[in-house]
Amino acid sequence: MKGLLKNNFYAVRSSAKTLAVFMLLLGAFVTVVVSQQLLFFYMLLGIIGFSVNAAASMGKDYISKWGRYKLTLPVRRVDIVKSYFIEQLLWLLVGMIFAGAGMGLSWLFHGCPFDRGIDALMLFSAGSSISLFAGAIFFPLFYIGGEERNGAFLAISLLCAVGIVMGITTLINGMFGPGMTTVQTVLAAMLLLACSLMAFVLSYPVTTAIFERKEY
Amino acid sequence: MENILEVRQVCKAFPKTDFALENVSFSIPYGSIMGFVGENGAGKTTTIGCILNTVFKDSGTIRLFGKELSDADTELREDIGVVYDGDNFPAYWTAEQLAHVMGGLYKKWDDALFQKYLQELHLPPRQKIKHYSRGMSMKLAVAVALSHHPRLLILDEATSGLDPIMRDDMLDVFLDHVQEEDHAILLSSHITTDLEKVADYITFIHNGRIIMTASKNDLVYHFAVMRCKESQFLALDPADILAYRKRDLQIDVLVADGKAAQRRYRGPIVDHVSVDEIMLLLVKGERI
Repeated sequence: MKGLLKNNFYAVRSSAKTLAVFMLLLGAFVTVVVSQQLLFFYMLLGIIGFSVNAAASMGKDYISKWGRYKLTLPVRRVDIVKSYFIEQLLWLLVGMIFAGAGMGLSWLFHGCPFDRGIDALMLFSAGSSISLFAGAIFFPLFYIGGEERNGAFLAISLLCAVGIVMGITTLINGMFGPGMTTVQTVLAAMLLLACSLMAFVLSYPVTTAIFERKEY
Repeated sequence: MENILEVRQVCKAFPKTDFALENVSFSIPYGSIMGFVGENGAGKTTTIGCILNTVFKDSGTIRLFGKELSDADTELREDIGVVYDGDNFPAYWTAEQLAHVMGGLYKKWDDALFQKYLQELHLPPRQKIKHYSRGMSMKLAVAVALSHHPRLLILDEATSGLDPIMRDDMLDVFLDHVQEEDHAILLSSHITTDLEKVADYITFIHNGRIIMTASKNDLVYHFAVMRCKESQFLALDPADILAYRKRDLQIDVLVADGKAAQRRYRGPIVDHVSVDEIMLLLVKGERI
């Protein structure tokens, strides 16, 4: 597993570095300029961007014969799939750290950037859920449709994930009504996160089952 | 247990194409090199895919070290080194990074041995693989395949595209590997001169079927081609004819025992035959 995670890391590293530099520059700008919308954008970009970038790098294994070669190594197919899921979570964590740092600095210098402090939780929950739903949809599609359609599948997965999160949020709003209390907001954030985590967890055996039937 | 690899009656069909492996069978004894010869598209890579489980066979059995390889058999794969033709590894890696990845995958990964190969084969460890020449990439793949002390090496066209000097270096490395009695190599290639140098046995595959397996010594020292006129050809015992090919006024006939043929038939010229010519006669010729 260690080798697989290193393999995935090397595939992502170069583009993640570029994204990290961009996030640092944008983060500096966000902490100087007081703009709620810009901060929201920065946070969502961080939370979603790093993990989506990691998923996008999966296709790199198949540019060379490495994708096939990996199957001859002493690893099971299930471990290869597991390494992608773990990596997705790790990069989500990295994105959350960037988002948290930007939000924290903005809060420190300019006060609470949200209407209510608890809204930060909702934003983290929404960003993480988009990232998790996107991964849950993308991984099986990647193996079903073939590696050459990697880009298209990622775009479709991301759009679907945004749509699903918007749909769930609409349902929650309908359930709790306008002007949610703090408890209701926490519940809504947890509910959204639970749905996306469940989809992510369920996607793992589905992806494994598909990959175990693939020939290279 | 005598064979490191046994392939028995393996079939694999591809519904979207006409191609299929049909009852492919051969085995590799411990301590030997098996050359696996066939034209492009003959089924060499598919057979290797079936052996390595990257392609799933429809029927038949494949036993590696006496066991059927399944996806869960990671221990078995510790003992196998693989080299594919072309780019085996992502181009954005360096040999150093490759060693880090492999070190995390193979229990028996020997980094000192890998560094030794890098030095001996003049491969810069910190240069990205995309800047390597084709020959360097292949040497790197061989170094990786050997650096976890595999018992069986499976090389799919590993010497194609290399210049003769590099090929010779690689062949020396392969010969070194089989000095150990419990080691063996399956070397798929269409460069038959390489196989003549190192192989102990040669298996010919054509259109997904094994057409012959023979020891190299038999092929080189006993097999022969008889250059016959039509009347001479008609006088031959069909049992002596492995394959024949008409060429203008002459008919080339492949026989398993050149000396016996020379004693039995006075008229035709009996020539030594190269593996290349044997392959041509088997593939392009006709059989009785």
